[in-house]
Amino acid sequence: MATMKVEIVTPEAALWAGEATALIARSSDGEFTILPQHTATVGDIVPGVVRVETGEGEFSFAVHGGYFQVGPDVDEGVTRATVLAGVAEKTSEIDVARAQAAKEAAEAELATSRGEPGEQATQLLAQAALERAELRLRAASR
Amino acid sequence: MAGGQERILRRRIKSVQATRKITKAMELIAASQISRSQARIGANRPYRHGMQRIVIEAALGDPAAAKKLLATPEHVETAIVLVITGDRGLSGAYNSSVLRAGERLVKKLRGEGTNVRLFAVGKKAAGFFRFRGMEVEYSFVGFADRPTFGDARSVAGTIAAPFIDGEAQQVLLVSTRFVSAGSQVVEVEQLLPLSMPDAVIDDTPKPLKGYTEFEPEVKDLLFYLAPRALESEIFSALLEGAASFHTSQQRAMAAATDNADDLGQNLSRIMNRARQDSITTEIMEIVSGAEALRSGK
Repeated sequence: MATMKVEIVTPEAALWAGEATALIARSSDGEFTILPQHTATVGDIVPGVVRVETGEGEFSFAVHGGYFQVGPDVDEGVTRATVLAGVAEKTSEIDVARAQAAKEAAEAELATSRGEPGEQATQLLAQAALERAELRLRAASR
Repeated sequence: MAGGQERILRRRIKSVQATRKITKAMELIAASQISRSQARIGANRPYRHGMQRIVIEAALGDPAAAKKLLATPEHVETAIVLVITGDRGLSGAYNSSVLRAGERLVKKLRGEGTNVRLFAVGKKAAGFFRFRGMEVEYSFVGFADRPTFGDARSVAGTIAAPFIDGEAQQVLLVSTRFVSAGSQVVEVEQLLPLSMPDAVIDDTPKPLKGYTEFEPEVKDLLFYLAPRALESEIFSALLEGAASFHTSQQRAMAAATDNADDLGQNLSRIMNRARQDSITTEIMEIVSGAEALRSGK
């Protein structure tokens, strides 16, 4: 079966790199699937679960927003897909208890600080934390 | 009295040995940090290169927008200069060489009639520039040793804001590049507008090499991509700065430890001679005293 090179990288580390048969993610235009020999593409990835299908099964990642690029690799005839994310983690490494605790903490923060001026920054931070925690839980529960 | 000198020497040897213990410890700590910070540079490389490739691809997709966003403006009224130093001293020439390069750059820009706004990473810059009559607008402190991507984000957000508002037309970076364990070089780079290979900005029509799809449209994509690219460049500069700092500190502390060894050896030699002298004098006194007693009988 035809494969392509896929890498999922964050600024701190390369999360995953290897041969894959498909890459499934969601951009601001909607869900898409990249298969080997896909045409050159550049786009964004909205926060969500990114899945990579390989010969040895499926790997999934919680990606908190990022970009992707598909293009020909330096090796002739091979497609390379790169996912760049500021923050991302392997679904298998998500700490569910911690994500749950973070979600509850963020919800409590939002509930107590609603409406008051001068708290907009903390509210935005709590909102972002809540979204991250929810995405982790969603990814882990699949 | 001879015994007094001996006591003073003994005290000095003790203080040299105490200092040596400290420099040796700092040397070992710095050495352990070198490999860690070097590994972080390596781990960052795929992201950095991927980001550069994406920006080039997107810029090729819309050369007109890219030219506006990426080309150097003809007239720079205000430039922002970001200097990356360390939070701590005792690191050899690391801080001073970045700071001196920064000072030269600021002087050159001012000589050309450009307004300069200074930003710095690390505690060491503010004092240095204030002494020379240049005010640092904001110093980012507390993460120069171990920068995280979040730190790079907050730096990028702060220095990009005036550029986006049109208050500044150029953002320059002065930092230390970690070429290898043996060589670190201070470099001045242009951060904004994002520096791109000239081929990208060249807007003469080229034969289509291939067709690239964009999701969403390339104009929107480039607009959101630019800040991410800036964060990525700043993060790699912070990582390389940290690695250079640790390398420089390790080298400086190794030299200091060697120095303390030499100094301690010299001092103990002098002290032994002083002790020997005082013993000789004492024996002379006793012998001559005994001689005097015997001849007086």
